[in-house]
Amino acid sequence: MMELTFLERGIIAALCIGLIAPLMGTLLAVRRSSIIADSLSHVTLTGISAGVLIGGTMQFIPVHPLYTGFAFSLAGSLFIEKLRQEYASFQELAAPIILSAGIGLSAVFMSLAPSGQNEWYDYLFGSVVSVGKGDLLFILITFIVSGLLFGLFFKELVFVSFDQEGAAVSGIKMKTINFLFSFLTALVISMSMKVVGILLVGALISLPAAAALQLASSFRALVLWSIVIGEAAVLTGVISSYHLSLATGGSIVVSAALILGAVLAWKPVSARIFSRRNQL
Amino acid sequence: MEAFIQYDFLRNAVITGVLIGFTAPVLGVFIVVRRLALITDALSHITLTGIAFHLFLSQTLSILTGLSPVYMGMVFAAAGSLLIEKLRLVYTAYQELAVPIILSSAIGLGVIFISLADGFNQDLFQYLFGSIIAVSRDDLAAVAGITAFVAVVLILFYNQLLFIAFDENQARVSGIPVKSMNLLFIIMTALVIATSMQLVGILLVSSLMTLPVAAALQVAKSFRQMFMYSVIVGESAVISGMISAFYLDVSSGGMIVLAALFLLFSAMMYRRASGRPVYHPGRQKETAAE
Repeated sequence: MMELTFLERGIIAALCIGLIAPLMGTLLAVRRSSIIADSLSHVTLTGISAGVLIGGTMQFIPVHPLYTGFAFSLAGSLFIEKLRQEYASFQELAAPIILSAGIGLSAVFMSLAPSGQNEWYDYLFGSVVSVGKGDLLFILITFIVSGLLFGLFFKELVFVSFDQEGAAVSGIKMKTINFLFSFLTALVISMSMKVVGILLVGALISLPAAAALQLASSFRALVLWSIVIGEAAVLTGVISSYHLSLATGGSIVVSAALILGAVLAWKPVSARIFSRRNQL
Repeated sequence: MEAFIQYDFLRNAVITGVLIGFTAPVLGVFIVVRRLALITDALSHITLTGIAFHLFLSQTLSILTGLSPVYMGMVFAAAGSLLIEKLRLVYTAYQELAVPIILSSAIGLGVIFISLADGFNQDLFQYLFGSIIAVSRDDLAAVAGITAFVAVVLILFYNQLLFIAFDENQARVSGIPVKSMNLLFIIMTALVIATSMQLVGILLVSSLMTLPVAAALQVAKSFRQMFMYSVIVGESAVISGMISAFYLDVSSGGMIVLAALFLLFSAMMYRRASGRPVYHPGRQKETAAE
C-alpha cells in the first residue's frame, strides 16, 4: 500500500465509494429520505472545518479532519430525528434547518482557521489527487465497516425502508435499525468526502438510485443497477478529471447525471419497442 | 457603528441586508406552508451553476466581463425551477427525488464550469459564503428592484397565494389560475435567491428563507403573526449577523445564519417554557376568515 501512486490511491478510494454510496442511496430513496444525505454532508463540512481549526490552532491535539467530520455527521443525523419530532406537522423542515446550521457554522470556522482556500476547495468539491495515505486508510476502514454492517443487517434495513410499521410489528428493533441507518449514512458521507467533496456526496448517493429506479423491475435489480451506474460514473469521472484537469467531484457527478439523462431519454423509446413486441 | 455610515460599501450592504431580511422570510412563510423548504436549496445551487457558467463564458466572450454574474445566476435559477416541476411529473412515485437530482446535477455542472474557468479563488469563496464587501451599487439596485416586484405581487395576489398555499386543489376548483400562480411564485423565489447571494452566499441563502419561519412557527398564534415574527427574526438575524461579522472579521453569511439559529433556539426554549404546541397554520380554519 505504501508504494501506490497518488492516482492509484485515488482510484482505489473511488471504487470503494462507487460501491457503497449508491447502495446507501437505494435504501434512502426507498425510504424517501434522499435529502438526508445532503444535509448530513453539510454537517460533515462543519466537522471538517472544526477539525482543521483545532489542528491549526492547538497543534498539541492530533486530529485528522475526516474523523471530526464523521463525528459531527453522526451527531447531526441523531439531531435530525429530534427535530422531526419537534416539527411534527412540518417534518421536512428538519433537513434544511440542519443543513443551514451546518454550513453556517462551517463558514465561521473556515474564516477563523488559518488554512488556505485551496484546502477548502478540496473538501468542498473533491480532488482525487489529494487522497493521501491517511485518507486512503480512513476510506478503507470505513469501507470494511460499512460493508460488514450492510452484510449483517441487509434484510432488516430493507424491510424497515419499505415498511416501517410492518417491520416494527414483526419484532425488528426499530431504534437499533434507525440508529444503524444514521450511522451508515454518516459513515458513507465522511468516506466519500475527500474524493467527491461535500457538496457532491449527495449526488453520488441519489443520482445512481434515481437512474436505477427507471430501469429496475425488482429490488435486487435496483441495488445492482445503482452499483453498476455508481461505479461507472466514478470511474469515468476520475479518469476524465485527471486527463482534463477538472474538479473530480464535478466530473463524477456530471457523468452520473449524464447516465441518468440517458436513462430518462431511453425509457420512452424502450417502452415503445417493448409494447410493440408484446403486440406481435 | 460609525463605520457603517461612513463607508459606501458598508451602507450598500446594510440596505441590501434590510431588504433581503424582509423578502426572504416573507416568501419563506409561503414556502414552508407549502412544504417546499427543500426547493430553496436546489434553487440556490442552480444559481451557483449560473454564476460558474458566467465565469466560464466571460473568459471567451469579453462582452460579459462587465456584467455582474448574478444575472446569469437568476436566469439559471428560473430555468431550474421549471425543470423541478417537470421532474416531479417523471418521478410521480418518488416526488421527493426531484430536488436532490436537480441539486446534485446543478452543483456538479457548476464545479465543472468553475474548474474550466480556473475560478477556484477568492471570488468564488465570496459567492459561496457571502461577503459584505462584495455588495456593489448595481447589486443594491437589483435587490431593490426585486423587493419592489415581490411587494407588488404580494399585495396584488396575497389572497390567491394564501389559498393555494393551504389547499391547492380547493383553489383550483374555485377558479384560481393555480398553474400560472405557481410559476410566478417560483420565479419570484428564484430571483430573491439569486440576489441574496452576494450577501449571505449561495450555500446559506436557503437558511434565510427557512430558519426565521421555523422560529416563527414556535411563537406565532396566527398566520398574520407568522409573517410578523418571520420578518422580525429575519431582520434581526441579518443586521446582527452583518455587524458582528464585520467586527469579528468572519464570513457574513455564516454569522447571519448563526444569529438566525440562535433566535430559533431561543424561540424553542420559550415555547417549551410556556408549554404551548408548535403552531400549525390552517388548523384553526382562519383562512376562511381572511
